[in-house]
Amino acid sequence: MSDWSKVTRPIPVPNEWTKPFWDAAKRESLELQRCQSCGFFQHPPFATCVQCVSVDLKFEPVRGKGTIYAYTIMYHTGDKRFASAVPYASIVVELDDAPGALMAGNLLGSEYTEAKVGRRVEVIFEKLNDDITLPQFRLAGE
Amino acid sequence: MWENRCKIAISGVGYSKATRSADIPLAAHALEAVRGAVADSGLKMEDIDGLATYPELPATGHAEVDGISVVSVNCMMAMLKLPNLTWHIQVGTTNIGGAVQQATNALLAGVCKYAVIWRAMHNPRGTYQNLPGNMAAGASQFTGPYGFGGPGQGMAVAYTRWLEKNHQTRDKMATLAVTQRKHTQHNPHAYFYGTELTREDYFASRMVAYPFCLFDCDIPVQGAVAIVLTAADRARDLKPAPAYLAGYGQRLHFETAGRIGSLSSYMEGGSSSAKLTWERSGFTPKDVDVAQIYDGFSASVIYGLESYGFCKEGEALDFIQDGRIELDGELPLNTFGGSLGTGRIHGLWHIIEGALQASGRAGSRQVKDVNVSFVGASAPIVTGTTFIFVKEPY
Ligand SMILES: [Zn+2]
Repeated sequence: MSDWSKVTRPIPVPNEWTKPFWDAAKRESLELQRCQSCGFFQHPPFATCVQCVSVDLKFEPVRGKGTIYAYTIMYHTGDKRFASAVPYASIVVELDDAPGALMAGNLLGSEYTEAKVGRRVEVIFEKLNDDITLPQFRLAGE
Repeated sequence: MWENRCKIAISGVGYSKATRSADIPLAAHALEAVRGAVADSGLKMEDIDGLATYPELPATGHAEVDGISVVSVNCMMAMLKLPNLTWHIQVGTTNIGGAVQQATNALLAGVCKYAVIWRAMHNPRGTYQNLPGNMAAGASQFTGPYGFGGPGQGMAVAYTRWLEKNHQTRDKMATLAVTQRKHTQHNPHAYFYGTELTREDYFASRMVAYPFCLFDCDIPVQGAVAIVLTAADRARDLKPAPAYLAGYGQRLHFETAGRIGSLSSYMEGGSSSAKLTWERSGFTPKDVDVAQIYDGFSASVIYGLESYGFCKEGEALDFIQDGRIELDGELPLNTFGGSLGTGRIHGLWHIIEGALQASGRAGSRQVKDVNVSFVGASAPIVTGTTFIFVKEPY
């Protein structure tokens, strides 16, 4: 299994668009930007709805279940902050509640070889410091 | 069809040496390539009155120093001191193909007569993607913390999506890497000229970011290439046979910055650019005699072949088998070796080869009876452009 213990993850810097996402993650809740006009969830946050161009967007909770949309296994050690974890799986997840909104993560708690397109995953939270908690994923039971 | 088809042509082409390390300033490489292109046309430097480039360094965490790590229009102006200069531009929403297209527009508008376009690429010391610091700001706040370090991984996730969605295996990509390396042996300017690659080498090579092994990635080099672009009637009076520009297109699709892994951004980027090119030129993929498709990472060729319409979605890795992309195949592909063979100089070299094949100047790698020569310069996502060059104006 990938050893994450010596990894120094870069800390996300929230901005005016993304602060509600990180505030929610700190409460161990997943909230994505939702269009109040057409109901579409999108990620990463953007100025307008990518479906209907409405500017009326609010963050709303979503359930943390989804499937692996895509993944890569990192072997290259050029990025020293992550070198001690290689090989590791970086995954892209499509949540059941937010089709089309793709979230990045790592596959934690399993061998990196378990990363496959279509596998069921669920969100877990990894506290980076007092301000930032990172949504992550592990394989889901069902 | 486009009323300006075949009114502009590529004339001369030029190359600097492609070296692994940056022993001399990049400006010297760019100068060598530009001088080479002007000489190839039989022109004098004072004939040049238009300049265009795309000066980006795709590495991260390295200082951009003009003349050392990029070569801007200003830098080129300062070096050349062109007495008759009337027009110049640097592009941003497209890669180098956009510079060629803007120069085309300038020539059509009559604001310059002989434009030079160059692409110069630096290979910084140390790690190419030298990701800085302990913070992830902007679009990277949703990817950086998970170790999504560089463009390689961004491409790799779209590739796993494509592979598993289409029940394909990465083993089939060996054909692309090996065939292109074979083509490279006909291109003395290429970094890997003189270095062969076997299927065994491909399968034994180390993994970089699965599904990409070492030979799925172009090697960073320091080097430059350049072209002279001019009006067709002027090009006919110059030394080389002209390659006539029959049509061009650029990607018209963009998804939110930081959105990762999306296959649709490649497919819609490529199809929007190709559609313009087919419509303007009046050709279809079936008319194409030879194709250059950007291959900074091997999977770019898949998205290109499919989104441009050469094969159906999910079929590209089967399409490239059975000798189809050999020099005497049904669709000879990346006949100069591609970026996988030449080293990382971005898409101007693809454009050069498209022109050389159309004008019958490709030497020992010349494909027989070429009239319609297609180019997909740079990855269909983000900065993609497409071109068709022809031997016979119509
Ligand atoms: Zn909407």
